Amino acid sequence: MKPINLKSKAPITVCLLLAMMTLTGCWDIRDINHRTLPVVLGISTDEDGKYKVFLKIVEPIEDNLEVKVVTGTGETISHAVDVISRNMETSVDLLHVKVIMIERKTAEEGMKDIIAGFMRSREVSPKVLIAICDQNMDEFFSILTESKELHGTNMFDYFEKNAGWNPEIALTRIWEVYRSIHSYTRDVAIPLLMTGETTTYKQVGSAVIKNGKMVEQISNDETLLFNAFNNESTHGQIEVLDHASVMIIGNSMDQHIELTDKQPFLQSRINLKVVVLETRGKTSSAMIKKELSHLLSGRFSSMLAKLQESEADILGLGQLYRTKIDRNELKNWRSIYYPNLKSDIQFQIDIQNEGYLKTT
Amino acid sequence: MHVMLMYVISHLGLIFFMYPGNVISSTEQGHWLPVLVGVVIHFIFITIYMKGLSYFPKKDIIRIYAGIGKGTAILFIAPVFLYFCMILLITLRAYSEIITIVFLSNTPLWAIMLLLISISTYIAAKGAETIFRTGLLLSLLFLPIIIFIFFTSFQNVDWRYVVPLDADFGFIIKRTYLESFFAFSGGFLFLGFVQPYFSYNRKYILWAAAFLIPFFLFSVYIPVLTFGQATSATTFLPYVVAVDAININWLMFDRVTMFFLLSLISFIMLYLALVSWKTIRILTHYLPSIKPVKLLLALSAAVYLSCFFIQDWKDVEKLFWWNTFLRFYILIAVPFSIFFFGRRIKRKGKNETN
Repeated sequence: MKPINLKSKAPITVCLLLAMMTLTGCWDIRDINHRTLPVVLGISTDEDGKYKVFLKIVEPIEDNLEVKVVTGTGETISHAVDVISRNMETSVDLLHVKVIMIERKTAEEGMKDIIAGFMRSREVSPKVLIAICDQNMDEFFSILTESKELHGTNMFDYFEKNAGWNPEIALTRIWEVYRSIHSYTRDVAIPLLMTGETTTYKQVGSAVIKNGKMVEQISNDETLLFNAFNNESTHGQIEVLDHASVMIIGNSMDQHIELTDKQPFLQSRINLKVVVLETRGKTSSAMIKKELSHLLSGRFSSMLAKLQESEADILGLGQLYRTKIDRNELKNWRSIYYPNLKSDIQFQIDIQNEGYLKTT
Repeated sequence: MHVMLMYVISHLGLIFFMYPGNVISSTEQGHWLPVLVGVVIHFIFITIYMKGLSYFPKKDIIRIYAGIGKGTAILFIAPVFLYFCMILLITLRAYSEIITIVFLSNTPLWAIMLLLISISTYIAAKGAETIFRTGLLLSLLFLPIIIFIFFTSFQNVDWRYVVPLDADFGFIIKRTYLESFFAFSGGFLFLGFVQPYFSYNRKYILWAAAFLIPFFLFSVYIPVLTFGQATSATTFLPYVVAVDAININWLMFDRVTMFFLLSLISFIMLYLALVSWKTIRILTHYLPSIKPVKLLLALSAAVYLSCFFIQDWKDVEKLFWWNTFLRFYILIAVPFSIFFFGRRIKRKGKNETN
């Protein structure tokens, strides 16, 4: 074996030792027990236009998770968070925020800056879910803290697709809202929540957001159609008719578009596969089909009319016309083309099976 | 094989950060055309370059130029040297800034720069073989991650954003577009430096370049397809933001961006090592009396210290822009001159044998 020549290795050794200083990772380090990791961030504005920020923090206390809500006010959201951080014994780290709630009033005034702020800072991930609180935020969070069944992440579970998500909930993330602020043809819907009487939350519908501003509200049933239209699965959804109730087990969609002289025309066919669950009185499958298709297409047209009036294109219909309208004109999609859009929507219902019983 | 991998990873490191942003802001629609123009130019010049180099077997470009005459050496070697120094400076500074923006927001810049430069200096000090073997190791470790994340980044894509497809050539004179060429011209020169150490098959390099085409194209198109042009033009690092929007339920890690970025940063370290090694090759050729390691340390120290004179991102952009002229000179002059001299020597050789 060759003896190690210390002299020739000296510079490298020094370099490696120096590198150790940077590699330890001990840089402004804050251990996890000195960090506060809020799960939900709530935002409302007060009369002076200042932001009031609510943080829902989960604290592990003796094998149990306890939830506490802290608030702070500031000119900007980061300032408000900073105020909270200053007043707390630990430092607040927004890295693990999963849901952002915005008070309805604030959303109606416009939340362009809030969303852009989140996109800019990178502290909050762009895939955080967003919801609008249809109730005073102080009230909302005070009810939440009193609630017994509150676990740490239950608000997140409410939205998670592999947990409590339901096809009537519009699942929208920060980056999608940001996209809608700048995109010519795309808007989003955000779930409207409030505290429930027996359940923790209650969804009252979805807020329609146009350019970062809440302009309209659609009901839960309409949100289902919105999800069906955007090819989110609507599995397991139960539809109640006069003579029966059915469960939707599959959906798909075909579209055909035309554009004549600034007059867009949309023909779409949504195929639904359903299973019959219950019937009332004398019912035939033809009747169920007819009733269901009638119900849904009526609901769809009224929703579309409402959306057209508010010029918010949450269905992303403008996307379909990208091939027909050139880019400079597309800027006017929401104001010129979209309100004129005529649509013909058909629901094709297939009854896949009728359970153990036969209907005539 | 080594050369091919090195070629791929040094370009990957360059593609995903600033290139998409530059291309997206250079034109409003039809982004395939700027990408295509870049790729075609890239192909033309590496073909000419490699063809030219093939006339000089077992010689690197320093010896080629030096063998021709002092005038040519000054005309070509000096700009190349300057260009490498600029690349080192800009890459080090820009990527440390990107690291602070993306994840280490509290860490001071000097520490990040020190880390990047010290590791790459160390690799460069060990010579060409180490660089290329590290390249193999890094690609085994990180290429799968990058390719996986590259494919998952299609998750939020809305293909209808592709249209309108028609494009015009207005982007050619845009400043941002010209700046985007750093992704094409940053890596290819090393082909002229590896000759005595490694031999490579020209065909494989062209394959490697072809392998990169989808990355060039989709690094631009993924943000456009996810956010739409109007939105992605407002972001600084569009591809990184698009990767950030990926949501994978079954993966235990919340932010795949971190893996993606760290892999790319390791590629960048290797790229820095490669560039410093090339610079040192030039220096040692003209200053043979000083040990290469000492030159390398001096170079790294100089680069590191000059980084402190760059105060903010505006200055980085200014440097980037100044370097663009040099870049085009290198991109055009070096391949053509090598090709030209090669032809001349071949003809001479023929005349002599006749």
